[in-house]
Amino acid sequence: MQSQQGNKFTIPIGPQHPALKEPEHFEFNVDGELVTGASVRLGYVHRGIEKGTENRSFVQSMYLLERVCGICSHVHATAFCLGVERLAEIEAPPRAQAIRVLVAELERIHSHMLWLGVGAHEAGFDTLFMYSWRDRETVLNLLEDITGNRINYSTNVLGGVKCDIDREQAAAIRQGLDFLEERTTHYLDVVTSDMMFLRRTRGVGVMTYDESQRLGAVGPTARASGVARDLRVDAAYAAYDKYPVNLVTETAGDLEARFVVRIKELFESFRVIRAVLDDLPEGDLTTRMPRRVKEGDTISRVEAPRGELFYYIKSNGTDTAERVKVRTPTLPNMASVLTLAVGHQLADMPMILVGIDPCFSCNDRMVSVKGTLDSQCWTWEQLRQYGIEYYR
Amino acid sequence: MNTLRAVIALLFFPGGLFILFAGMAYEWVDRKLIARFQNRIGPRWFQPLADSIKLLAKEEVIPTDVNAILFVVLPVIALAGALASALYVPIIGLEPSYSFSGDLIVTLYLLSLLTLCTGLAGANTLDRFSLVGATRALTQMFSYEAPVLLALLGPAIVAESWKISVISEYAKSHWLIITQPIGFLVAVIGLMGKLEMPPFDAPEAETEIVAGALTEYSGRGLALFHLGKSVELMVGLTLVTAFYLGGVANPLLFFAKTLMLLVVVAGVQSLLTRLRIEQTVGLWWRYGALLALAQFLVMIAYEGVA
Repeated sequence: MQSQQGNKFTIPIGPQHPALKEPEHFEFNVDGELVTGASVRLGYVHRGIEKGTENRSFVQSMYLLERVCGICSHVHATAFCLGVERLAEIEAPPRAQAIRVLVAELERIHSHMLWLGVGAHEAGFDTLFMYSWRDRETVLNLLEDITGNRINYSTNVLGGVKCDIDREQAAAIRQGLDFLEERTTHYLDVVTSDMMFLRRTRGVGVMTYDESQRLGAVGPTARASGVARDLRVDAAYAAYDKYPVNLVTETAGDLEARFVVRIKELFESFRVIRAVLDDLPEGDLTTRMPRRVKEGDTISRVEAPRGELFYYIKSNGTDTAERVKVRTPTLPNMASVLTLAVGHQLADMPMILVGIDPCFSCNDRMVSVKGTLDSQCWTWEQLRQYGIEYYR
Repeated sequence: MNTLRAVIALLFFPGGLFILFAGMAYEWVDRKLIARFQNRIGPRWFQPLADSIKLLAKEEVIPTDVNAILFVVLPVIALAGALASALYVPIIGLEPSYSFSGDLIVTLYLLSLLTLCTGLAGANTLDRFSLVGATRALTQMFSYEAPVLLALLGPAIVAESWKISVISEYAKSHWLIITQPIGFLVAVIGLMGKLEMPPFDAPEAETEIVAGALTEYSGRGLALFHLGKSVELMVGLTLVTAFYLGGVANPLLFFAKTLMLLVVVAGVQSLLTRLRIEQTVGLWWRYGALLALAQFLVMIAYEGVA
């Protein structure tokens, strides 16, 4: 009972808790069932990936960075590839760019379906959870058919993509999409008309437009509050200028709007994938990529299923990056959880938390370091020592 | 002879072993049905039994700073209450083993023991999830108890007795679900609330408060609480069936009717989203209690006229 300061009653959620699929620690002060304060402690799954890229070549880093996130592995690789290709002053062939878009949208479907299930589970609606995850198998099978893997597809290579789409695969994708579209229509109907489910989502966790701007929310979380921001539209990368995406926004800003935005984005993904399949450019899959990348730095931004994914890549002219900085969309969205939590029921906490579609282990970076070293730059040995000391 | 009969009734049939195994069988049917509704495969037929044996064999960890006696005794009382209630209801269509005037009230009280013990067990430990779970369990109990009582008193009034055997005898010739549909609904939903089934599973909502009041329980205590719940499922289904679904004249009818009711209950469980605790209370007092009361008044008026 140590964290029960004064007469506050604190409910800890995490680092080990059935509501969380990854370890992160939240503390909610409650007055009865009403939440009066919230705090978070991040960093349980810091893995040193950024540092890891510093003694791996660009090619080897691809493997590492794909594993930042288990759900949106492709966008991480895409962000890194686009950045490094820009530094190397090459451009992947149009067919490769189109396949990048195709896989990214399939991945978005997989991610949103997964989230729909998790969101329903947090509300205690396990039937929707089971059904959406069953249907998600369709898209996982398609991804396996194209890339050989259900997750961590490693479609990208520097300078292009590894896998091609042939006629049969295209037909299989179309067939899978038809099935998914039918199911998604049903789910949209469920989340907007099921009275019992609406009791848990409508008007809960309302984030206004101003608030979402102030808190810096990104991705579907912001779009549910009416923020028209999507990198696929605003700063089209890969082949998104050729296959434009229509922005999906809602204005309500509550949990229902977040469900609706994500489900409507699924329809956009279906449409974009069909457009890519209809009009897939012929040509090579890769261009030649020089081993050494010219000196310089760049920022690469892509739209992950959860929002804006940000990469900063600095090259020093060798085959190894000098610095890779990753910011995943969970971090900017986290503030909204803590702000929205206050004033809600304890029972709404898991849903508000999951409403941003958090991905904790992607998000954990070492931000500030308390310690004896003044230097901003640490060696592996120092980091290792710090880790040992920290957990002693 | 009387002693022997009492021992058999208490330990083997219809109380004791029989109701334990029957309860576990019904729990399996419930779990299997929900699993099939949710497109899952579901547990094998012996899963509840295997769970119970495993839990009973496990070490029970008694947390520090709890009243150890209460911690151990509460699950026993909960199970004992549920088992005792089985003696007063027409299990598998037979006459209740024991019967006296007003046993309906005693049975309802015995059935509430489980929730009461769960709440106390949660309040006994210092675990924060348990405390919140206990508060919710007791809050929920206070919201459904009155409407359910009203719902079960409906048949008692038309049968003009508070004796379960008399009411079930009367119900064999009257399908009370037709004359008292609101009472039936309230009774079934109340049973689900009593057993903390979805959508009334806020007291043990795993995504919020882990396992609610029973978070600190492992091993034997947990097994006893679970068994108590299974027994209560069986007894509750028997009561509602005997009162509202045309009675249970023989074992075949009993199983057919209770299992049909269980299918309905499982369907409701898989269709609905969990209610927040304040929504549960609101539902019961705003609709459940008022509707039950309205039907009650209509019945009294009708009886008075007739």
